[in-house]
Amino acid sequence: MSVPATSPAIGERERTVVTRLRVADGALLGPVLCRVVSMVLARADWPLDRLEEALLVCDALCAQAGEQAGTQQPTFSVQADESHAELLVRGLQAQAAQRLLDHRLPLVGNVLERLAEAVSIQADEDGLGVCLTIALSAHRAE
Amino acid sequence: MTPDMELALPARAENIAIVRHALGGFAEAYAIPPAKLSDIRLAVTEACANVVVHAYPEGEEGEMEVLATVQDGSITVRVRDWGHGIRPRPDSPGLGLGLSLIAALAETVQLGHDNQEHTEVTMTFSLSEEPPSTNGTGG
Repeated sequence: MSVPATSPAIGERERTVVTRLRVADGALLGPVLCRVVSMVLARADWPLDRLEEALLVCDALCAQAGEQAGTQQPTFSVQADESHAELLVRGLQAQAAQRLLDHRLPLVGNVLERLAEAVSIQADEDGLGVCLTIALSAHRAE
Repeated sequence: MTPDMELALPARAENIAIVRHALGGFAEAYAIPPAKLSDIRLAVTEACANVVVHAYPEGEEGEMEVLATVQDGSITVRVRDWGHGIRPRPDSPGLGLGLSLIAALAETVQLGHDNQEHTEVTMTFSLSEEPPSTNGTGG
């Protein structure tokens, strides 16, 4: 089992990590992912308004990621420190990940464009799919 | 069988709260009664605390994994680690009541290793409203 690569933005100290969350049914994803992410960010002392926005990102992902993942349910990882967080969605097909990012649709891409600090797609470690990385900031850019 | 939920985290005390909240989300999705959820959370908390305190040598960080499956009117929760297994520990910092508490709360408890050398505590909880007729440990 591999722990996800750490972004340089996420410091080694006071880092709260969930290395893997996978659910078999899309209906489980929303209740479980949102609780896990809120706990991780609360543990990292995030301001409530930014925590709430991070949960909006999770809600949007939950609404679409299962549908876009095909037969295999995606795996989520989250890590955070007091200023940054990174949410990784693994096991997506490249086209599905691209569809998630399509900001012209009033779905996930639109939410990510407004609320995420950065979003990127890389080849997954297992070589079978891609990994969508969503960087979030605890403080709004001035 | 593929579990309905699989959660892996570093085996640290502060992460047990994340497990408890994830179980809350799981219970919401499956409409598990609050009293049953309390029992499940308490038993899983004890199992995770055992991993945090006993599984890995001091100074070494390992992982704990929680897997939950609902099937045939019951929920099975497995708590796994990759530590040195369950063994007597005279210098244990705990009260030594964790496994007894788990056994009292769950319908069945199994302790052991799986085929990938995980140390694993498997707990089954009935989701029916009736009180269980038996309460024992196995494995």
